[in-house]
Amino acid sequence: MIAIRFHGRGGQGAKTASRILGTAAFLEGFVAQDSPIYGAERRGAPVAAFTRIDKKPIRERGLVARPHLVMIGDASLVQDPAARVLDGIDERTVVFVNSPLTAEQFQAQTSLPGRVTTLDLTETALQQFGKRSAISALLGAVAGRLVGLQEESIREAIARELADLGLAVSAIARNQAVGVACYAAVPMVSVTAGPPQPFPPAALQVPTYESPTRGTARISAAGNSMLRETGGWRTFRPVLVPDKCNGCWLCFAYCPDGVISMTKEDRPVIDYAHCKGCQICVHECPTEALVAEREKEGGVAWKAK
Amino acid sequence: MEGEMMTGNLAAAWGARLAGAEYIPAFPITPQTEIVEALAKWCESGAMPARFVTLDSEHSMMTAAGAAAATGVRVFTATSSQGLLYAFEVLYSVSGWRAPLVLVNVSRALAAPITLESDHNDVLAARDCGFLQIHAETCQEVLDSILIAYRIAEDERVMLPVIVNLDGFYLSFTREPVALPDPELVAKFLPPFHPAHLGFKASEPHALGVAVLGGTPYSYFRHQMHLAALNALVVHQEAAAEFERLFGRRYDLVEGYRLDDAEDVLVMTNAFASKGKAAVDAARAEGRRVGLVRLRMIRPWPAEAIRHVLRGRRAVAVLDQNLSPGQGGILFQELAACLYHETLRPLALCSFIGGLGGKNLSEGEFRTIFEQTAEAGVQGKGIGPVLLYTEADHREMVQLQGIAGKVGTS
Repeated sequence: MIAIRFHGRGGQGAKTASRILGTAAFLEGFVAQDSPIYGAERRGAPVAAFTRIDKKPIRERGLVARPHLVMIGDASLVQDPAARVLDGIDERTVVFVNSPLTAEQFQAQTSLPGRVTTLDLTETALQQFGKRSAISALLGAVAGRLVGLQEESIREAIARELADLGLAVSAIARNQAVGVACYAAVPMVSVTAGPPQPFPPAALQVPTYESPTRGTARISAAGNSMLRETGGWRTFRPVLVPDKCNGCWLCFAYCPDGVISMTKEDRPVIDYAHCKGCQICVHECPTEALVAEREKEGGVAWKAK
Repeated sequence: MEGEMMTGNLAAAWGARLAGAEYIPAFPITPQTEIVEALAKWCESGAMPARFVTLDSEHSMMTAAGAAAATGVRVFTATSSQGLLYAFEVLYSVSGWRAPLVLVNVSRALAAPITLESDHNDVLAARDCGFLQIHAETCQEVLDSILIAYRIAEDERVMLPVIVNLDGFYLSFTREPVALPDPELVAKFLPPFHPAHLGFKASEPHALGVAVLGGTPYSYFRHQMHLAALNALVVHQEAAAEFERLFGRRYDLVEGYRLDDAEDVLVMTNAFASKGKAAVDAARAEGRRVGLVRLRMIRPWPAEAIRHVLRGRRAVAVLDQNLSPGQGGILFQELAACLYHETLRPLALCSFIGGLGGKNLSEGEFRTIFEQTAEAGVQGKGIGPVLLYTEADHREMVQLQGIAGKVGTS
């Protein structure tokens, strides 16, 4: 069995990528299984999805603890311990990162274990689609190449999965073309199944009784959401072009997270430690004074505390 | 591969569609909603000639479902967790009317604290309500079990409603290959629903669930339900044989996996049984003579089938994905009770609690189960209930308690 784990941010298309890979494998006659894990169902929140491929019925379910291939849709996830991107990676694991850096550069910067390969899918999507959009077809195609699936089945799987999401025929065709281009372009590091190392028996430690102060699910603190920095959820950041701003306050009104405050001069100030990069302000700004800029790779813009 | 890639939820919707459900009262709840969304779409497009109605709560939904079934139409509905509990009092009425509808429950652990992921305290809370229960391991089994459930429910010897259970996330949102049965064969398997005791005709008034006082009629009617539920053991086997003949897939009351020479046996239910089978394979590769029994039909309780597969084993471990506070694992109790009179009963019965709130069962935890069960068999003394909770889980919890502002020792 080959087990693939996808990591992305809500809205990037990690779940759909896992389905494209599963469908492509299924079309080639394999038994496939794919499933997502939803945490916070919000744009930008860390998301994981799993695909398993085998020639016989698959007995495993749920999260992939020991992946043969890890697909990282957003490089900043490597820095976020809550995303658990590094779980179960050993020296044989192939790790793909959506990054403009080369594999050597990325590994030097992050000391990421495993056999790394990279390709800048976000830049490709920006150039080919001309806007920020999900990279599910690209991620799925690259994963298909790394596990050795055929280009034709990837092309068909992209069509099926994106049609299922209601995309227009023309958009599906573009995704197929760009997906196939990424399929060809990704530096190849082949994934091999290999015999798994057996896990040792789990050491159990059953909890003992504690007073309800500790033993009930209650948070004994005042509002603490300021402590949870969500700036790392962004793949794009809203940036103000001051000359264009007319001081209308619409960005302030529309921000769902309350991270935009206004100066006495009626200009927005964005709290980047908490802005999740939903781009609603960019969408709503009537004068295009807010623009989306891609976050820089390698956790430069933000680090988990 | 035959079929197509499909989630457990979509497979459930296909089960209702192929069964020709005529009325679908609905109320959304995660992780079930995808089922009623698919059915709503099909009813809207005309792909499915059924009446789809959204209700204001699960209590209303279940009332509408039972009332419609009592008029003699084929009814399907689905819920999960808190929704099932909100419908609870109506479950007893519907079964008392002997209205044979099919209800899919997508298992999700109960609040408080609130979560979205699966365990079986929701569906097992309904074990005494008179609904029969079939618990599925795979997406294919979800679809097939809905067809089988209608066939059992609508049999004159049974006429009771059925819950088909699937695990949230682990099946509901997981896609795997599912073969869609041929609708013409389904029509052969599932004849039209014409119940003699139900119906709606102005010229023939009748009242269901009438008041009975004094206990004698009440005892009689409740006992009739008990006998009807027991009849389902036989009816299931007939339905399973016919299902296998038509569709080539075999389902039994309990499923045995690598039991032939197994000394020790692990008993499980639902989707995690797949992981249990993988763990059995791994343990076998190391020379352990272990096997697995998956309980598929929970109501009626297949006592004889369970005795048959567990007779003469050294030790048996029951992995309950539920917890009855102050008692332990629910299925362990039932299993122990049905083995008591068995002269060749296992030397040790072990109770493990795992997968609460959807907590993963790791390979290491299965190894621990097999080791502790073997040891219990050697000692001739059972253990448990043992919570599958590791040192790593403990460290994570202490850290979370710190974040939540807990004081005191850990």
